[in-house]
Amino acid sequence: MKVGLFIPCYVDAVYPEVGVACWRLLRHLGLEVDYPAGQTCCGQPMANAGFEDKAVPLARKFEEKFAGFDYIVAPSVSCVAFVRLNYERLLAGHPCATAAKAMDIVEFLHDVVRPAGPLGRFPHKVSLHNSCHGVRELGLSSPSEQHIAPFNKIKDLLSLVEGIEVVEPERKDECCGFGGMFSVEETAVSAQMGLDKLRRHIATGAEYITGPDCACLMHMAGVAKKQGLDIGFKHVVEILAAGL
Amino acid sequence: MSAKQDILNRIRAGVRDRHDMPVLDDIAAVTYPDPLAQFVKMSEAVGGRVIEPAAGEDLNSLVRQLFPDAREIASNLPEITIATRNPDTAGSAQALDGTDVGIIRGEFGVAENGCIWVPQAMKERAVCFICEHLVILMPKSRIVNNMHEAYKQVSFNDYGYGTFISGPSKTADIAQVLVMGAQASRSVTIVLI
Amino acid sequence: MSTSHSIKAKAFLKDGKYAEWHDATFWGVRTKRDNMAFGLDEWEQLREKASAIKRHTISHLDEYLEQFAVNAEANGAIVHWAADAAEFNKIVYGILSGHNVRKVVKSKSMLTEECEMNPYLEKRGIEVVETDLGERIIQLKGQKPSHIVMPATHLSHDEVGELFEEKGISDEIGNHDPTYLTYRARLSLRNEFLTAEAGMTGGNFGIATTGDIVVCTNEGNADMSTACPKLHIAAVGLEKIIPDYDCLAVFQRLLARSGTGQPTTTYTSHFRKARCNDGEFHIVLVDNGRSSWIADPDHWEALKCIRCGECMNTCPVYRRSGGYSYSYFIPGPIGINLGMLRNPQEHSGNVSACTLCNSCQSVCPVKIDLGDQVYKWRQKLAEYGTASKSKKMMCDTMSRAFGSESRYNTATGAAHLLNNMPHGLVHCGLNPWAEGHEMMKFPKKPFHKVFEDLEKEDKE
Repeated sequence: MKVGLFIPCYVDAVYPEVGVACWRLLRHLGLEVDYPAGQTCCGQPMANAGFEDKAVPLARKFEEKFAGFDYIVAPSVSCVAFVRLNYERLLAGHPCATAAKAMDIVEFLHDVVRPAGPLGRFPHKVSLHNSCHGVRELGLSSPSEQHIAPFNKIKDLLSLVEGIEVVEPERKDECCGFGGMFSVEETAVSAQMGLDKLRRHIATGAEYITGPDCACLMHMAGVAKKQGLDIGFKHVVEILAAGL
Repeated sequence: MSAKQDILNRIRAGVRDRHDMPVLDDIAAVTYPDPLAQFVKMSEAVGGRVIEPAAGEDLNSLVRQLFPDAREIASNLPEITIATRNPDTAGSAQALDGTDVGIIRGEFGVAENGCIWVPQAMKERAVCFICEHLVILMPKSRIVNNMHEAYKQVSFNDYGYGTFISGPSKTADIAQVLVMGAQASRSVTIVLI
Repeated sequence: MSTSHSIKAKAFLKDGKYAEWHDATFWGVRTKRDNMAFGLDEWEQLREKASAIKRHTISHLDEYLEQFAVNAEANGAIVHWAADAAEFNKIVYGILSGHNVRKVVKSKSMLTEECEMNPYLEKRGIEVVETDLGERIIQLKGQKPSHIVMPATHLSHDEVGELFEEKGISDEIGNHDPTYLTYRARLSLRNEFLTAEAGMTGGNFGIATTGDIVVCTNEGNADMSTACPKLHIAAVGLEKIIPDYDCLAVFQRLLARSGTGQPTTTYTSHFRKARCNDGEFHIVLVDNGRSSWIADPDHWEALKCIRCGECMNTCPVYRRSGGYSYSYFIPGPIGINLGMLRNPQEHSGNVSACTLCNSCQSVCPVKIDLGDQVYKWRQKLAEYGTASKSKKMMCDTMSRAFGSESRYNTATGAAHLLNNMPHGLVHCGLNPWAEGHEMMKFPKKPFHKVFEDLEKEDKE
């Protein structure tokens, strides 16, 4: 099984430690991983803003870099969801192998690798941030709106971490208000949503907020700092790989 | 061309795929071990009151007991002898204004939501809404589980009007505070017969 | 980069306490809805069926409309067809003036709001009295609905109390208890019901096989509006027609549970005929764009909407910006989409009001792809000439940077230099991110540089 690691642009630029955790964790699990050079962005930011055409060349480039892998794994649910749900349309007329192969790393570990554990050690109380695109596009957990049997793949994986206590905030999958271009176009609502979300996470008594999407974490971290709220942020992968 | 033909033509020109009607009789709709008990529970949950008179108890004295201050009682039911007004013979719907208690018959009840099917069976259906308090006589043997079963049973009289009633008129339009008694009857009492 | 919605939303959020109350109130409705949804094991099956019934019905609407009209006419109803709002208003006025009507009592209808019927009739000397309490309140206040199911929820009980005092509806000055105010409105409206010459209703459903118009209310005001006057006019959008009672059962079960978290509305009323031998029952079927929307491959499913309003209640942006932040009279996710169908030039400013969180389409009882549709509208703004220039520039820049490895590497490699920029320069108002956020700290080395070390480490 050949795994291609996709580290989306903003993770590359802002959260290299999350990329490192992905690499270490996948290698620790004995997987053959490659990080193809020259990768950049999936095109989601432009497309969500209404400029899908600007995403097309990036989709072509992505397809070039990643088509040969069995799985394409990334630590960012919204990027993965974008590739999976839109690339076939964006690449219309060209072959598209990547849409079917792209997986969020939580999803990949949970559904494909199925580690029996134990994984890392993280003796802290963490509040789980169920990112919208993970919940409602990739199916990482049962959406709070739907009457289906409850499940949460992130929680399942975190249960393999030693010493951790995982809680969820009230309104467990309400949006944090990032939304890509939304955060610069609807600044007031975005900041308010971020603040509301942070308060609910903090009310759990957790020391850290963890989630499967660095973008949500980046947004909340920025709001927290502006508002002087004290809580830590870790991508799920950093916790799974802690101490490995 | 008429507006109707224009509209229908535009629809026909616009529709691309004609989708099939789904199968509906495989809906795994809720049923209850004791539909009557569930009906009573739901009727109370929506603000209604359910009374099962003792065997042989006279409905007229029951209504009197329930509404001792009622002056104007409207009904066209033959067994209600204390009625002061009759919606069949009232000169107008307006003449029923000021009715304290209206007494009508319901055909059947729905366990899942406390609905009672009330087909119009009087000349002035205003009696069902204009009264302060509504009393619905309903056969306790006729409770269906859910609305799927209910809609297989609804029937109309010649009047061409019928309504499901579930509890008293209510509103939460002022500051989301629930208040019973908006524009229609302020209380509903279901008498199981 | 601001839009018409974002500007109004910002103003809405200035009153923090009120904004918090607004959010909590509508989240409360969402919670009530959840309790109902989770109380039925067949809930998701019902949603699936409801969506499929609507897809079927809308794609056979020509047949169902004809069937409905035949059956309604056989019942004795008089069926009219209105191509647009102007024709609708003309038809209604024609019926009313033909009966010398001076006052109409009217139950809630978003369609008459859409057609701006009330001002049209009032200009012609006909008084229109809204009889749903919420609608009556905003009518007296001279406002538009801020929500399609709870139109006056943006007002506090004190505001309603003061309004009722001013209009002479309540006589105990300072008594703003909702129970008291509701009682006073009841007395005032009772008088209107008794003296109006005509009653108007909307229609939640029209049943093709029977010709019934079905109206769902909690207050009983549709029934009161039609139980006294001899003339009844029902205004019905084309998309409200459904095949039969088996279908109706599905929607009846979903509507109130989704909309207000009740197991049913208090009244589910079926109208087939005129109230009395010397009365008349008119049904006006209104197109006003709907027949053309059917042809839109991306957005036709917006016609599945049964107007429960739950997409507003669950929408994190609606809850934090209120109904008046949207330019269309229907707010929230469904309103963004219907507004764009109506007039994209006028309503493009609402398209920003969405994080694409998809809670709306996850909650929608008829499974309209509301969030996906917003995404699609955004792609079309350039075509409508309503795309933001600065946003386009940002996307152009990003696209260029991401499209070339060398430019990308230079940018990410130099990002950490931003860390050392003076705070005032970064938070200068030209950087919208900094309005709500502190800037992130960029690391010295982006991951693709760090990876070179990882690879070495791996080989060792």
